[in-house]
Amino acid sequence: MSDATGLVVERHGPVGWLIFDRPQAGNAMDAAMLDALPKAWRELDDDPDVRVIVNTGNGRNFQTGLDVVQLSRDPEALREQSRRTKRAELLISPWHNRVATPVIAAVNGSCAGGGLHFVADADIVIAASDATFLDPHVSIGQVTAYEAIALTRKMPFEAVMRMALTGRHERVTAERAYQLGMISEVVDPPERLRDAAQGLAEKIARNSPAAMAVSKRALWRALELGLTDACRAGALDLVSMWGHPDQTEGPLAFAEKREAAWSTAPPPPEPDLPEDLR
Amino acid sequence: MSDGYSDFTCLQLERHGHVGWLINDRPDQLNAMNNTMRDEFAQAWLELDADPKVRVIVHTGNGRAFQTGVDVSEIASDGVGMERYRRSMEEFDVHFTAWHQGVAKPVITAVNGLCAGGAFHWVADADIVIAASDAQFFDPHVSVGQVVAIEAIGLLRKMPFEAVMRMALLGRHERMSAQRAYELGMISQVVDPPEKLREAAQELAEKIARNSPAAMAASKRALWRALELGLTDACRAGALDLVSMWGHPDQTEGPRAFADKREAEWVDPASAASNDALPHSP
Repeated sequence: MSDATGLVVERHGPVGWLIFDRPQAGNAMDAAMLDALPKAWRELDDDPDVRVIVNTGNGRNFQTGLDVVQLSRDPEALREQSRRTKRAELLISPWHNRVATPVIAAVNGSCAGGGLHFVADADIVIAASDATFLDPHVSIGQVTAYEAIALTRKMPFEAVMRMALTGRHERVTAERAYQLGMISEVVDPPERLRDAAQGLAEKIARNSPAAMAVSKRALWRALELGLTDACRAGALDLVSMWGHPDQTEGPLAFAEKREAAWSTAPPPPEPDLPEDLR
Repeated sequence: MSDGYSDFTCLQLERHGHVGWLINDRPDQLNAMNNTMRDEFAQAWLELDADPKVRVIVHTGNGRAFQTGVDVSEIASDGVGMERYRRSMEEFDVHFTAWHQGVAKPVITAVNGLCAGGAFHWVADADIVIAASDAQFFDPHVSVGQVVAIEAIGLLRKMPFEAVMRMALLGRHERMSAQRAYELGMISQVVDPPEKLREAAQELAEKIARNSPAAMAASKRALWRALELGLTDACRAGALDLVSMWGHPDQTEGPRAFADKREAEWVDPASAASNDALPHSP
């Protein structure tokens, strides 16, 4: 993919990398990047050789949200983004784009405002020890909603609200994010972040892609439903995998002490949910 | 028969003071759940919940594992396999945890040693979880081509999501320590040395047993129901739970015992179950 998109897409072994590449602009999303993101997620998610996706940034920032300066010079792109925001049709994060492959966000440097979409919407988040998190929306008269709402479902509420209300006047450190369970690993020294992400991704890539895709679907859906309904729906996901070749191959490989040769068949489709769970 | 409970082959039931113990007892199979154990769980929870002498239930395991999920060797060898469970799973008609069985009494899970895969059902569905310092948590489902759903769904309502998803996707290639589980709020106490786990669980249970059984049952009901609803709806339903307790004898006895500087004499939980002393779900 060309540099004009503001994204770099790479493959290293079973790991696909989606790298924000506008370092001179804090990796902020301009019109070209907004356009390229859905295509990049789709390309990696549809590639059977990509078992895990890592999302990170070039330069000293991870991602700093919309590039409002560039977008103000491109009224058509701004209108399109406003329309999508209003209709909750954003297509920037892996969750928006219904990515079935496991996604690791590897946060290098600052993650600000709209950058939090990529933290909230990743499956796993790790960060360099010098990474920081902040949400400056209210400091420039903007509302914070989507990113913070998703975060409140995934970590202690008070910490999210504090970030929303302190705006640009306070930052959450990687260490504090780890304590709060917002991230699961702090990489020190920071230069080792990509090595750590690749290593983590390669471990995950050893598991059944189909079983992971269905598990991921069940767990994210659980954020939409009450506990019992989420379990009822999850039980159908569980059963949907029964009879899949990976369920024979997994135990067999374990017994024979070898790596499993997972099926390249797609994961079972989402089960027909009873009407009250749709 | 011991302490008036049924004879179980895969579980051990005991009563120590006000505390009922449910102990996984297939140590040679790392307490993996076969068909018999699955049926026994359903019965054991109901017996402990109905026992008037029991106010708090502790669940732990014999041997070096707390629990390690379904007994895969039985699944692989009995010719029926997982298909046996298809109907009950599709209808989510399962009965092996306290939550499945609607247990009204407080339940403490005390994790000794390994806690793997399906074992998270009893971590997710307990009210309180403590662990020995050498306990290890991991979820190998996806490493053997299985989906993880229900136990992880229960957990992600109760602790940071990312940690649950990381365990789900790492499978058998990473383990979480008791210390990290404590930091994340998945458990509330790490017992060191590990040999002190049962002692610590008994002590914790005895503290809880000093509180009003009826008030705890209504509180437990309100808090678990909150996981089913949006915030305002959960508060509206919880308000009814609150009011359901008004006029209960424990509400007079509690303040009086406090003023008299003596232990309260609560209405027995079992008499509560058999008559109207326990406030009904509003």
